[in-house]
Amino acid sequence: MIIYFVSDSDINAFYTAIFDCLKSGGIITSRQDFQLTLGDTVINVENDCTKCEEVKTALLLYDRYASDDIAFALRSGDNNKEQTVFGYVKILLKTKAPVIKRMNLDEILKFNALTYKITGELHRLKGLLRFIECENGVLYAPYSPDNNITDLLAEHFKHRLSCEKFVIHDIKRKLATIYDGNSLLTGKVGNAEIYVSEREKEFENLWKKYYKSVNIESRPHTKQMKGSMPVRYWKFLPEKQD
Amino acid sequence: MIDETRLEILTSSAKYDVSCSSSGSRRKNTESGIGNAYASGICHSFTPDGRCISLLKILMSNECIYDCEYCPNRNSADVPRAKITPDEICELVINFYKRNYIEGLFLSSAVFETPNRTMELLAETVRKLRKEYNFNGYIHLKGIPYADKTIVEKAARLVDRMSYNVELPSEKSLKLLAPQKTKDSLLMPMKELKNAIESDKLNKVRNRALPAGQTTQMIIGASPESDGQILKLTEALYRKMNLKRVYYSSYLPVVKSSKLPDTGAGLLREHRLYQADWLIRFYGFDVNEICNEDENLSVEYDPKCAWALKNMHLFPVEINTAPLETLLRVPGIGAKSAYKITEARRYANLDFDNLAKMRVVLKRAKHFITCKGKFYGSGSITAISNSLLISDGGEVNEQLTMFSENSTALSALTGQI
Repeated sequence: MIIYFVSDSDINAFYTAIFDCLKSGGIITSRQDFQLTLGDTVINVENDCTKCEEVKTALLLYDRYASDDIAFALRSGDNNKEQTVFGYVKILLKTKAPVIKRMNLDEILKFNALTYKITGELHRLKGLLRFIECENGVLYAPYSPDNNITDLLAEHFKHRLSCEKFVIHDIKRKLATIYDGNSLLTGKVGNAEIYVSEREKEFENLWKKYYKSVNIESRPHTKQMKGSMPVRYWKFLPEKQD
Repeated sequence: MIDETRLEILTSSAKYDVSCSSSGSRRKNTESGIGNAYASGICHSFTPDGRCISLLKILMSNECIYDCEYCPNRNSADVPRAKITPDEICELVINFYKRNYIEGLFLSSAVFETPNRTMELLAETVRKLRKEYNFNGYIHLKGIPYADKTIVEKAARLVDRMSYNVELPSEKSLKLLAPQKTKDSLLMPMKELKNAIESDKLNKVRNRALPAGQTTQMIIGASPESDGQILKLTEALYRKMNLKRVYYSSYLPVVKSSKLPDTGAGLLREHRLYQADWLIRFYGFDVNEICNEDENLSVEYDPKCAWALKNMHLFPVEINTAPLETLLRVPGIGAKSAYKITEARRYANLDFDNLAKMRVVLKRAKHFITCKGKFYGSGSITAISNSLLISDGGEVNEQLTMFSENSTALSALTGQI
């Protein structure tokens, strides 16, 4: 078995791997901890422009949204995302027409499940992200999403908080998007050191008070609460720190 | 700035207003402004009672000149009173919004001094928020009965949604329990707002009134109306007033009053009414099909199931050929599933396995459909009724225990301003 190893951030290397994989079979992965067995060959895939373009052109020919869909799906935090996307690509190349709605096929269902989860988390975090006001007025939001969505999330807040400056920091991927009041910039960052503004604690306490007061205590339904607001997100919610 | 005590009093009094949705508006941010509205709405947190927090729900004041029997803030009640100034509200909204705690403001108030004075202050608050604080997020404003049309319509052109609560499902009950409000004082302003919305749309006014429309709310179980009557009224409100939503809040006894029942209505009744409400709005049902005027909805089965069991001659339907309208009438198949099925079957005939993998819920649906001509449900109506009863049973039990806990909890208030 041949294992094609691609870098998580290089989409062209992924297309190159698809080209090779279609020729000689194998598995595409970006996992560092992939379990190898005897006889496995590992190939570190580098971006090869001709191969990459050939795949892209074919995909574009059959479904003009395919490369956008694929780029979006690769944001997933799922361990087998490359294989799932590869499954979709194989069906698309075989059918030679848009296949995204062929929900009678397992590969398509899997691919849709992947993007569904990313869309879902993106929407959820538009609500659950929390900004902390720093001393210099910059809003800082640390969080730890399942999928790589920081730049997409920032796009949403750019319209909403266009006159503010903010940083959205994905702690897990050590990735941050910065908005300086004009444009967005995404890049790798290490640990952030922040100085919280004076009034921050006051508003945080008012918010906690509000959260408590608006609850109807005699109608507990924590299952519903946890279903809509999974516990893994609580770490960054002030109303859930006690 | 507002202190925690006042915030607590003013939100505890506002929390029984059921509506908290922030959907339906696409308001854009302005150049020097803060905020925008998101068409699908965004939930920002969830409280332990399972409800979402999307808006900062607060009363301007809970000092009320009215004495509605069911209301915790009625004039004769002995509760702590508080109020908040327009600037305090604006400051709180902007700072909560900046931290992404909320999607906007839900502003309501008890009627203090006069209805006009109350409405004026509400209108002044939203004007300040929009024009001085440049806030472009979502605002839901409560309408005050008997307030002047001019003040109301001025406010309507600044906010996204307004609501006048009809409070109770019939004029008779309103007279008995909220004697200072009349049917006309609630329905007239609703109608005037509807006209304002329509004329703004027609004349393509730039800042048109209420882009997210109107809603209303009524208390269920405090008065003797049947579900059929309630749904008839609901349907009329949707069709004649163009409302976006009708909310129900099941009554819980707080005050000992000879005019109010001793026991609450229970959450199951509220749940069934919402299910019927959905059938009217999204599934092409008429009230008459679901429930007769003097009847109540079935406790054992959800309204669609109950309808299907009475109309077994229409089933089973073939999943690969049935039109969308028919699919929507199959118990267990919702709007999303129906859409998925119509999309997927264009490419291949679907079998039972395909449906399961597409996550179509088949627990109920299997008795009413065939896949490629094959039927997977029970043979007789009795068998179907029984198996559906079992599959729905857990829900009934859960609801009843919740209800029995509730009726003992005196701290649970119902109704709203």
